[in-house]
Amino acid sequence: MDIYLPIAEVSVNAPLIVALGAVVGFISGMFGIGGGFLMTPMLVFLGIPAPVAVSSMANHVAASSMSSVMAYSRSRAVDLRMGGVLAAGGVVGAFAGVEFFRWLRLLGQADLVVSVSYLLFLSVIGGLMLIESLGAILRRRRGEPKPPRRDRRPIWLYGLPLKMRFPRSRLYISVIPPLMLGAFVGVLSAIMGVGGGFILVPAMVYVLRMPASMVVGTSLLQIIVTASLTGVLQAGRNQTVDILLAALLILGGIIGAQFGARASSRFRAEELRAILALIVLIVGLRMGLGLFLAPEEPFVLLSGASG
Amino acid sequence: MIAALAALAAIAAPGPPSPPLPPSPAAAASPVISAALTDATVQVKSDFRGARIVLYGAVFDAAARPSDVVILVRGPEQPVRLSRKQQVAGLWLNSRPVVFRGAPGFYRAASNRPLGDIATFGTLRRLGAGIDHLTINAPAEQRVETRYGVKDVVVSRLGGDYFVWRRAVVRLKEKAGLYHEDDGGVRFVDRGLFRAEIALPTGAPTGVYRVDILLFQNGRAVSRRTRTLTVEKVGIERALYVWAHQGPWSYGLAAMAFALGAGWAASTAFRRE
Repeated sequence: MDIYLPIAEVSVNAPLIVALGAVVGFISGMFGIGGGFLMTPMLVFLGIPAPVAVSSMANHVAASSMSSVMAYSRSRAVDLRMGGVLAAGGVVGAFAGVEFFRWLRLLGQADLVVSVSYLLFLSVIGGLMLIESLGAILRRRRGEPKPPRRDRRPIWLYGLPLKMRFPRSRLYISVIPPLMLGAFVGVLSAIMGVGGGFILVPAMVYVLRMPASMVVGTSLLQIIVTASLTGVLQAGRNQTVDILLAALLILGGIIGAQFGARASSRFRAEELRAILALIVLIVGLRMGLGLFLAPEEPFVLLSGASG
Repeated sequence: MIAALAALAAIAAPGPPSPPLPPSPAAAASPVISAALTDATVQVKSDFRGARIVLYGAVFDAAARPSDVVILVRGPEQPVRLSRKQQVAGLWLNSRPVVFRGAPGFYRAASNRPLGDIATFGTLRRLGAGIDHLTINAPAEQRVETRYGVKDVVVSRLGGDYFVWRRAVVRLKEKAGLYHEDDGGVRFVDRGLFRAEIALPTGAPTGVYRVDILLFQNGRAVSRRTRTLTVEKVGIERALYVWAHQGPWSYGLAAMAFALGAGWAASTAFRRE
């Protein structure tokens, strides 16, 4: 059952797109990530022009995050205040990122920066998470106690001014680190066309030291804000949002996200992190591989004739 | 001759617009070509998966000299932005992009035998007949300078590589099914009566296409007909496309509102279960 997409101007197999949305939605609900880093490469592989894939995906990310954040908020696993601070940083970052991306496009190096960011961030974060979570799993199997954290109150978290209470996360820290983190993720989301959950989730655990139970729901909240903003900006500035493509992805995504959010309660936090780390690592290496292998076709058509 | 004329009239009757009336054979000192498309518009709907348009035509030549027919279909012009992968310090990176102008978004050349046998290189080049003869160039890379005392020489910054780049444009377009050259695309079905098919892929750009039907005799183009073919989005596809381009902000907000609403609805629906 093929359907013609009016903005992408290609014809796609509708059930396949819905299934793709469902799979990515499931992963999104399970790990509290947007899933953009998985979806964008797959849509491009199916023949959808990259700018349309990136922009329409923002709508899908917003929808599936919305669907699962409701499930998390019912079980009181969302820190609204922390989410708000992160999102405020994210909004600033997204605007800055869009401008930065324009500048890169003018230089003709946007592709390079995208590939390098994928390779760098996904493999480093995936690798670190994998090591940490495997360590945690092994320790638990052997019945060893958790190693004590060397510095319970890092100076850059507690020493900075503008302290704020986050009762849900049981934290009393400066708002500067979460604001910076949100802004950084906002910039990345504009450049890589992702929600940024794969960076946010580990950063909230290891940098902000939030309780693991709050991390997933809170990161989804931040992703909704960033993805909504990106989606509207992309439609307004570049006219690259395909509403039909988004609708197909959403149809699968919202259902997948519900099952994902339920499935996540059956796993331990460190097991979830290990699986997520593996997925992130594989995608990162796959994206980066293109930088090292000699291309079959040395020429590439770039989309958009201007800019 | 009369039979061919009658056949043409019968075939072309349903096709808009009314087929041109060829001059009466008695007065035809010079040969004339005539042609019509079965469909002058292609409608792009949600089930669009490419289209096939049949072109019928006839050659009117009292002297019955050997004739060749060449059909050139050109879609709306689309600038092409191309980049080349280069190895820098072990990494394959994109080079600075080069913009090519003059490349049609769709091109098809059909003839009854190889173009090279029909006319000379110069003639084909002048008519833009054949993929090799399309005027695709990169104006931003060109400089006009005086060389060896000759004024206004066009020099491309790409140098000899220009042909490699140009071939890449054609190769990538051919791969997407947008460029095609067919030596046997025109078939004579009866004396003076010919038929050709134009296959449009799903990725064919929307807009007005120009179809040139050329009659060659003795290596010269002696008669020409031009038809237009319109590829347009209709129905919901058109409405969405127009909305996305004319009211981009309201479109974006509506799309996002729909996305968030759908997410919320799914979550509510699942809770009730």
